[in-house]
Amino acid sequence: MANFKLDINNQSYEVEAEPQTPLLWVIRDEVGLTGTKYGCGIAQCGACTIHLNGSPVRSCSIPVSAASNQKLTTIEGLSEDNSHPVQKAWIDAQVPQCGYCQSGQIMSAAALLDKNPKPTDSDIDTAMAGNICRCGTYHRIRKAIHTASNEMTNGSK
Amino acid sequence: MEANNINRRKFMKLAGMSGAMLAIGFETFAIEGPKVLKKLMAEDFVEGTPLNPFVVIAEDGTISIMATVPELGQGIFQAIPAIIAEELEVDMDQVTVVKSSASRKYGRQSIGGSRSVRTMYQPMRKLGAATKEVLIEAASKKWGVAKSALYAKSGKVHRTDTKDFVEYKDLVATAAAIEVPKNPNLKTKKDFSIIGKETVRTDILSKVNGTADYGIDARPDGLLYATIERCPTLQGKPISYDKEAALSVQGVTDVMEVTRSVYKNKNTGIAVIAETHYAALEGRKKLNVKWDNAEFSKLNSESYFREMKELAKKDHLNHKDQGNFNQSFANAASTLDVVYEQPHQSHSCMEPMNATVHVKEDNTVEVWAPSQSPQVQRQFARQLGIPDDQAEEKIKVHLPFLGGGFGRRSMNDPLEECFQISKELRKPIKLIWTREDDTTQGPFRQATVHAMKAAFDDQDNPTGVQHKMISEAITTQFRPSNGKIPFEVMEGISTHYDFDNYSIQYGEYNSQLPIHWWRSVFGSTNGFAHEAFIDEVAVKAKQDPLQFRIDRLNSEPRQVKVLERLKKEANWDKKLGANEGKGVAIVESFGSIVAHAVFLKREGNQVIISRVVSVVDCGIVINPNQAKAQTEGNIIYGLTAAMKGAITFKDGVAEQSNFHDYAILRINEAPRDIQVYLMENDENPGGMGEPGLPPIAPALVNAVADLTGKRIRKLPFDLQKV
Repeated sequence: MANFKLDINNQSYEVEAEPQTPLLWVIRDEVGLTGTKYGCGIAQCGACTIHLNGSPVRSCSIPVSAASNQKLTTIEGLSEDNSHPVQKAWIDAQVPQCGYCQSGQIMSAAALLDKNPKPTDSDIDTAMAGNICRCGTYHRIRKAIHTASNEMTNGSK
Repeated sequence: MEANNINRRKFMKLAGMSGAMLAIGFETFAIEGPKVLKKLMAEDFVEGTPLNPFVVIAEDGTISIMATVPELGQGIFQAIPAIIAEELEVDMDQVTVVKSSASRKYGRQSIGGSRSVRTMYQPMRKLGAATKEVLIEAASKKWGVAKSALYAKSGKVHRTDTKDFVEYKDLVATAAAIEVPKNPNLKTKKDFSIIGKETVRTDILSKVNGTADYGIDARPDGLLYATIERCPTLQGKPISYDKEAALSVQGVTDVMEVTRSVYKNKNTGIAVIAETHYAALEGRKKLNVKWDNAEFSKLNSESYFREMKELAKKDHLNHKDQGNFNQSFANAASTLDVVYEQPHQSHSCMEPMNATVHVKEDNTVEVWAPSQSPQVQRQFARQLGIPDDQAEEKIKVHLPFLGGGFGRRSMNDPLEECFQISKELRKPIKLIWTREDDTTQGPFRQATVHAMKAAFDDQDNPTGVQHKMISEAITTQFRPSNGKIPFEVMEGISTHYDFDNYSIQYGEYNSQLPIHWWRSVFGSTNGFAHEAFIDEVAVKAKQDPLQFRIDRLNSEPRQVKVLERLKKEANWDKKLGANEGKGVAIVESFGSIVAHAVFLKREGNQVIISRVVSVVDCGIVINPNQAKAQTEGNIIYGLTAAMKGAITFKDGVAEQSNFHDYAILRINEAPRDIQVYLMENDENPGGMGEPGLPPIAPALVNAVADLTGKRIRKLPFDLQKV
């Protein structure tokens, strides 16, 4: 066991864990931020997507030792009041069904729009292909990303 | 819009509660206009006067309506409260939807078979209407005017003679003492203001900010984590394992055998319990279990299908036997004689199977049940020596949101396993199945073989059709069929085409492989074979496949209307380009009719699904947006089954284990253009969770045939190789 200092959603956490523990389980079970989900454990489904220094990563496949002193953002840190354009667009399009994958979907979408505020459908395919939704909300995810993009680039919907 | 305030006292109550409750959160969030999302509250801190188990009205005017059946994405969390609110005459933005726990006072809380709205529509309307009537009667007493001079609207009772009104909150004390009428008057459809309108789902907010509480998120104090090493052939018994090696991993506290019931089978696994999930997994790796697989290692998908195909050559139980098919086939000028086959599938809910149970030292229990059938109190009570009438008092069952279900969560094996561990250790235990456990251990969707035959006269007019379906059955895994066709196996063969000679048979194949309800169940497999073969018949008869169906469904006027609407909305008769193809299919299942038209386009080396148009007749619709969402989801789930996943067995072991080899359709492969149209009528509500699935695979392969001339009769197939 070792101690690690994690910077998550602009808060500092001291955790004790085996260095090889996937960051996912530390975030969920030690820090207590359960919005980030376990889906596959092998970086195939994207349910555990968080931002590491602003880029989307699969927290199931990063050991906690590699995340120390890096800037991490989880779904809980995307906005304080559900006001991130992606969250608003997700509500507007009523995207989630079971909702389990949606934290990961939203984190991937937010990272995409951060780097590419005007994504084409093809850009969306590339950025979102790592996130599986078993309920099949892809059609609405695409629509919501375009909506969020419009808000972010025009300042209003 | 006013905030949904949680006062200090409630907050303290909330703060003292365990993690899953806290996860619900408690702020209010508003988006533009009337769309105000109320925060969710848990049943335990609802305040006010209950007028019945489902409706509680507080002095501050808060109207709480219980959501009592599990929400797995189908929107029932909103739909049932919406039905109550309609008849109660309150607006949805006056309502706080409250997630209930499991209790017999709410009636049946299990979900499956696209059943919830179908079975609860009338009872919940009556409940809402009866509640409204006692409030009107209370107002009648207050004012001393006849009930007929009063009406209810937006949470108030109004007088017709003056402009006076009184709010429900000021009537509730009186109303609670009034006997509830058994047969209240119900509204007519034209007066509906909530049913049939697109209301915002109250669970959505929590699903965009990470606060929605799933079973896997339960975090009671002192929690330990469990994982279970399982037999690769599912049913083999452990011969030996290295308990000490597992215990030597730092953080591992216990190792024990647990039993999992899969119908009649009791599967043994070795549970490793630890202070962290990671330590449990590391301990599990060291178990080195030797299994006795001898009896179960003979199972192979190849022989499984070979034996089913052999069985298809014989005659079986008749589901339908009209005219004389054999004679029509013998006398035919030409025939079709083909076999369709579909593999086993995994449900693969995004939230893997899990459970959290705390059997306490004082023999009371707290359960977080990610289950489609969560009323487990009596089952657990009996194992703890608790009398039935104390089961609910001693065993608290939380209903978390479910990260998908698709039928899988109607089997409570994870809860059963977790209960055993906690009962032994008397500590809170969270059991999480790995994705590999979830994919390989079943139970699975059935695999099927369909022997399809058609007879034609010398003008290529069809004179007879036969569909012989061979598969395992679900219900015969726990009760004998007694020579009858099990009720579940013929779902989705519901298009009663007008053929003079028409035979449908079912032959049961027996295997040790466990199968289970999987979204649309036999509708998914029957719908594919039946509607793809009907297309073959139509094409051989040189008729347009959509018109052929319309012409031969005289006994099904609702199906004809759906097809006619589809023809219009899909612009079906428009001539396609050389690189385009179209396909149609229609299936009635779980009380609703769905027809899909699939359009394909070849673009360079790629074939894309350029458009899917759907028409749905599910009778009266509660929330059109959600009916459409379910249909969109069914299209994707069905396309995955058609083009992606198959679970195959070699030497008794599933050959796929995770999403790298059991692929799920991804956004880049999903149709970008999906249009869903709903029929308007006054029929009773049908199901919506499943009926959109069965017609998608046949519509797809029919489009492939239109594009390429090639018939796909075995799923899954690769669309890029057609």
